[in-house]
Amino acid sequence: MKKEILGLGITLCLFAVGACVALSLVYTVTGPTIAGLEQAQLEATLKDLFPEADGFEELVGVIKSESPSVDIQNTWKATRDRAVIGLAVKGSASSYGGDAAMLVGVGIDKKIVGARVVSLSDTPGLGANASNLTYFVDKQSKTTFPGQFSGKAVLDPFEVKNDVIAISASTITSKALTSIVKEAGLRSASWLDSNGGAK
Amino acid sequence: MKRILTIFTKGLIIENPLLMLMIGLCSSVAVTSSVSNGIGMGLAMTFVITFAELVISLFRKLIPNDARIPIFIIVIAAFTTMVDLSMQAYFPALSKSMGVFIPLIVVNCIIMGRVEAFASKEKPLDAVIDALGMGLGYTWVLMGIAAVRELFGNGTILGLRIMPETYQPILFFILPPGGFMVFALFISFNLWLKKRVEAVSTVREAA
Repeated sequence: MKKEILGLGITLCLFAVGACVALSLVYTVTGPTIAGLEQAQLEATLKDLFPEADGFEELVGVIKSESPSVDIQNTWKATRDRAVIGLAVKGSASSYGGDAAMLVGVGIDKKIVGARVVSLSDTPGLGANASNLTYFVDKQSKTTFPGQFSGKAVLDPFEVKNDVIAISASTITSKALTSIVKEAGLRSASWLDSNGGAK
Repeated sequence: MKRILTIFTKGLIIENPLLMLMIGLCSSVAVTSSVSNGIGMGLAMTFVITFAELVISLFRKLIPNDARIPIFIIVIAAFTTMVDLSMQAYFPALSKSMGVFIPLIVVNCIIMGRVEAFASKEKPLDAVIDALGMGLGYTWVLMGIAAVRELFGNGTILGLRIMPETYQPILFFILPPGGFMVFALFISFNLWLKKRVEAVSTVREAA
């Protein structure tokens, strides 16, 4: 009986070791590519938000969310000729299909320069339209859902169906993303207030 | 040769995993809101089932009966993680839109079911053929359901606009209830197809 159990354990262990070796090989090959892709995408998004910036510096732990539903993960300071021209904040909130993350750029004039959806796992055709570049909340001006935040003052109310146009049939997604933009805007503005002049 | 063809084709219609065996349904409703997701999920699942059946069949004599389920899961999970990592590295857009469904291939009942019912008893070649048949049977159904749902629910197929600009998408098809309805239509279509196929093969056998 004991021998049998030992035998089963050893067989199971051998299979697990085999699987681990195979997995670590695949991970070694794909790991750098995945990390590189993520970094490249982040840099491209930052550059997209602040095209005139010549440098980005990550700030660790200086901006914290004060809203219980929004989590602020990373912050980058966008600079030009070593003067701060704005902040980019990556925040996440719980949406319909899990956590959604956005990168929000705030200029020193306390206006949102832009917002980009970083990750979203909501329903394709509905909530996922937030990251669809051809889905327009305003068809006349071809404004996308995140696109409508550009140029808004951080002290605006940010209320869905009031000053923010919702994605049709996706109120939860719209509210979650809007809450990230609002919180990122408010916290960035207060940081810029106390540090904006510093070179 | 004929035996191999029989093993291969049974997964397509007569024993189609989704429409006849009715296993692995969760993913089929969840990912079929766009054709590209359907193709991606189908191919990823086909890859995992093929290698899982091959490995299990190769080692079938070394797998003790009492510990077979955990060993199956280790093998399936290893291949699923490989697919997940490779997709993240080489098809980042697809990997993003598939989200949580790729890791969930681990618990796809079709793979577990075929490994248990077929690969653990049969020769490696037969197991691979069975896996390809089942994988293809799964993929065509996903693509079919996704095509109907994307066309009516979004007016596009593979992101290309098919319906005229003025077409107002019927959101019902993108939502889960629409998924179930299209799925039911596919089941009845497959039953009709199965009858035809069986009628043809009986005639052939008689002749």
